[in-house]
Amino acid sequence: MFPLDAAARRGSLRAAAGETDSRSAPEAGRVGTGRPHMKRRTFLDWLIGAAGAVLAAFVLYPILRYLVPPQAPEAATRRVVAAKKDEVKPGGFKIFAFGGEPGILIRTADGEYRAFTAVCTHLACTVQFVAAERVIWCACHDGRYDLDGRNASGPPPRPLERFEVHVIGDDVVVEKGAAA
Amino acid sequence: MSVRDWLQTRLGLESLEHVIEKKRVPVHRHSFWYYWGGMTLFLFGVQVTTGILLVLYYRPSADEAYESVRFLMTQVSFGWLVRSIHSWSANLMVGAAMVHMFSAFLLKAYRRPREVTWLTGMGLFVLCLAFGFSGYLLPWNQLAFFATKVGTDIVAAVPLVGGFLARLLRGGDQITGGTLTRFFGFHVAILPLLMTAVLGLHLFLVQWHGMSVPPGVEQQAPARKEMRFVPDFLLRDIVGWLAALGALALLAALFPWELGLKADPYAPAPAGIKPEWYFGWMFQTLRMLPSHVLGIEGEVLGIVGFGLAGLVWVVVPFLDAPDGRGPRARLWTAIGMLAIVYVIVFTLLVYRGGHPR
Amino acid sequence: MSGRVVAILAGRIRGRGPLPAAAALAVMTALVLAASAARAATDSCLDCHRALDDPRLKAPAQGFPRDIHSERGFTCASCHGGNPSDPDVSAMDPDRGFKGAPTRDQVAPLCAGCHANAEFMKHYNPRPYIFSLAEWKTSVHCKRESLGDQKVATCTGCHGVHGIRPHNDPASPIYPTNVPRTCARCHNPDYLKGRAVRADQYALYAQSVHGVALLEKGDVSAPACNDCHGNHGAAPPGLKDVTMVCGTCHGREAELFDGSRMKAAMDLEGKRGCVTCHGNHGVKQPTDAMLSTDPGGTCSGCHEPGSAAERDTRAIIASFGGLKRSLAGADSLLKLAEVRGMEASPGRESLKDAQDRLVAVRAGLHSFDPKKIGAALGEGAAVAAKAAGYGREALRDWRNRRLGTAASLVVILLLMGLLIARIRQGERARGD
Repeated sequence: MFPLDAAARRGSLRAAAGETDSRSAPEAGRVGTGRPHMKRRTFLDWLIGAAGAVLAAFVLYPILRYLVPPQAPEAATRRVVAAKKDEVKPGGFKIFAFGGEPGILIRTADGEYRAFTAVCTHLACTVQFVAAERVIWCACHDGRYDLDGRNASGPPPRPLERFEVHVIGDDVVVEKGAAA
Repeated sequence: MSVRDWLQTRLGLESLEHVIEKKRVPVHRHSFWYYWGGMTLFLFGVQVTTGILLVLYYRPSADEAYESVRFLMTQVSFGWLVRSIHSWSANLMVGAAMVHMFSAFLLKAYRRPREVTWLTGMGLFVLCLAFGFSGYLLPWNQLAFFATKVGTDIVAAVPLVGGFLARLLRGGDQITGGTLTRFFGFHVAILPLLMTAVLGLHLFLVQWHGMSVPPGVEQQAPARKEMRFVPDFLLRDIVGWLAALGALALLAALFPWELGLKADPYAPAPAGIKPEWYFGWMFQTLRMLPSHVLGIEGEVLGIVGFGLAGLVWVVVPFLDAPDGRGPRARLWTAIGMLAIVYVIVFTLLVYRGGHPR
Repeated sequence: MSGRVVAILAGRIRGRGPLPAAAALAVMTALVLAASAARAATDSCLDCHRALDDPRLKAPAQGFPRDIHSERGFTCASCHGGNPSDPDVSAMDPDRGFKGAPTRDQVAPLCAGCHANAEFMKHYNPRPYIFSLAEWKTSVHCKRESLGDQKVATCTGCHGVHGIRPHNDPASPIYPTNVPRTCARCHNPDYLKGRAVRADQYALYAQSVHGVALLEKGDVSAPACNDCHGNHGAAPPGLKDVTMVCGTCHGREAELFDGSRMKAAMDLEGKRGCVTCHGNHGVKQPTDAMLSTDPGGTCSGCHEPGSAAERDTRAIIASFGGLKRSLAGADSLLKLAEVRGMEASPGRESLKDAQDRLVAVRAGLHSFDPKKIGAALGEGAAVAAKAAGYGREALRDWRNRRLGTAASLVVILLLMGLLIARIRQGERARGD
């Protein structure tokens, strides 16, 4: 649809620019006296300028939008705001997204935050925190981890990877430890 | 006093204007090829612009590179567009550079007094390939990682200095995060600096000597047709650049550059790993060479062969007939044609039975 | 033993001056050497039996040096009696304490003589496994054996006899991955031919999800025969016990099932939990196709078409199917977006959450409570919808990109056309 319009426009513009062959009649509205070439060239130039400006806008607009930083200023792979300060109560937990996988933020009875990967090391189900039993529990096959992430009982063969937690202002920030 | 006059007085624009006004471009049946240098320059400009934009969000460390590209493509406004244009324009630029180089070769633009122009042009081409090679690793995905591994392994096979060169490139014996940082340094600092210097010289020389006229045309009507650079040639140049811009927009929207999978050095190389298409012909040649030829390793032979062929190609201004006519000139034209056919055929062979990307 | 002797003697000699000490040291060294030489050289049992031709008599001597008991310092005489320092046949004199090979019914008491003695076992292991003869007596193996059944297992049948390895040694027949094959040595159709007892357990187990996990994938957290049946007290789990058996690992499902109406109904009908729907030895990975009252579905086994239970079942099945369809729909939207080059990671994270909920719903089915299941399904559907929303947003973005590009292309083409017109105009003005 669009390309055809452009071609049609081109065609009409070429006609508007005029044949130099004086045999062809000038378009209606263009008076034969005076300096028709001058007027038509200026008109064409004006059109070119206008189209160029539009194109410039099409180029500059994305660039300017691009330069404005997005809401979250960096990729949430090493560091992510897991929760707000009092969102997770003591004895509670929250599953949050971290680097493409779920993580678990727990708050022990004495208010301390701890964070681990929420991917069970057995068959990758998502774990949960059972405060009453002081364990991180996987519902799939009854795997249990202690509150340091160590696999305590059931099928899980390895401990849960532990993350660092920092409370910065209103945010509870979870960060992966120094890379191996 | 107008703005123009004000600038004139301060910046001495008059002499520049004078030069530009005077510039003429020969018009003949091969004039079409004159546009390709400017096209390469335009695409380079696109690369610089999009590259600078990318550097605002990209992180050159093995832990963060892939994630920063992902962030760029998903969270940053038009980040996908900037990245895809940068990747596609790199390919178009190398393509344009090759067209420019081959047309200059066949039209014997390297004849006296333009030998240094040709040499600087070859330098620019090598820098172009270096840009492509270093940039390709930066997204740190599986394809990039293993393609770079294949590439540096080939460098390592160069006799005598290969091992050292490969270590210099890789920043070690393996491709690691150190390689990434190093390639980033090459790509955004060292290569741009070299490029600017050589390009400046190349452009100056082109202006200084004017446009070369092919031998066949030269001997014809002495009253050669010419067009003014401004506005005639430049307008046509701009039409071409707009076409390139449109092509880039189309490619970025229809075939966006993919993110791929994050590089995992311990995973087996993906099947059918190959370098980018502009190295394809070299890659295919090396693949097809037998493992040993007269006791020498096939790969080494291939690399030495490329080295020698490259050397010949670079010094062709000193090997070809000075006036570009006669049997020697015809021989070199034939060699040029053969080179083009060889590169095209071997590039296509890489993809025989495989997906082009 | 000789070590202790040396220590006692050393204590007596200490404090009597250097010369006697040196002499005593020499004597003790000779004694120790002699004792170990005696131990090494004068196990006449091994010496003689190794030289015999009859394989049945030779095998024990060949196997025993690798036995854990041999490593711990026991000899043939420890179990069989007799005199290992006597090179003659008189070593096997019953009057001198030689017991010979124990009969079948003597085996368990013989092994129990040490292994049931906690004091004794503590010499060799601070946390020993103490064999319980009482437990053994509850097993079917013991019961049948006391009835005179000669084909039934005793200690040696499973543990081996001369060449026993500890249970955590992969070479041992009772190492977890070897247990099913060990049991199957007897529990197979050939060995149990003519008996009324089932013999297809191993064949079923090897195909089951547990069997595949343990035998093919080496996942030692998967149950072998002894995990459900017990070791020394091996018996089929009793009627009421089965949820406790399965529930040791599948705790959530067992817990939900225990409180459900289904369990109450099954109890009334005398049907076993877990096994009725899932089978036991041949338990396969449950599929959603089981959840159906059509012929072939598991529910149809008991629920008549048209019954109230069947209606409830249908309602659950419908919602469950609805959730799965939402998930599949979200997944295909996200896949389409990804294939088109749009990043869909927030959608993928949401989808994983929804899939986790589906897993929880599948466990939750065991509560057989339509309200609870319905609520969980509703939550899952909401998350699936969110994931689909991300997918749709990604596709919308993709469409917008195309439109934006088309618009920019229009401008570019327009400008190109204008410039070409300008060029032509310039040419004509110059009279080209």
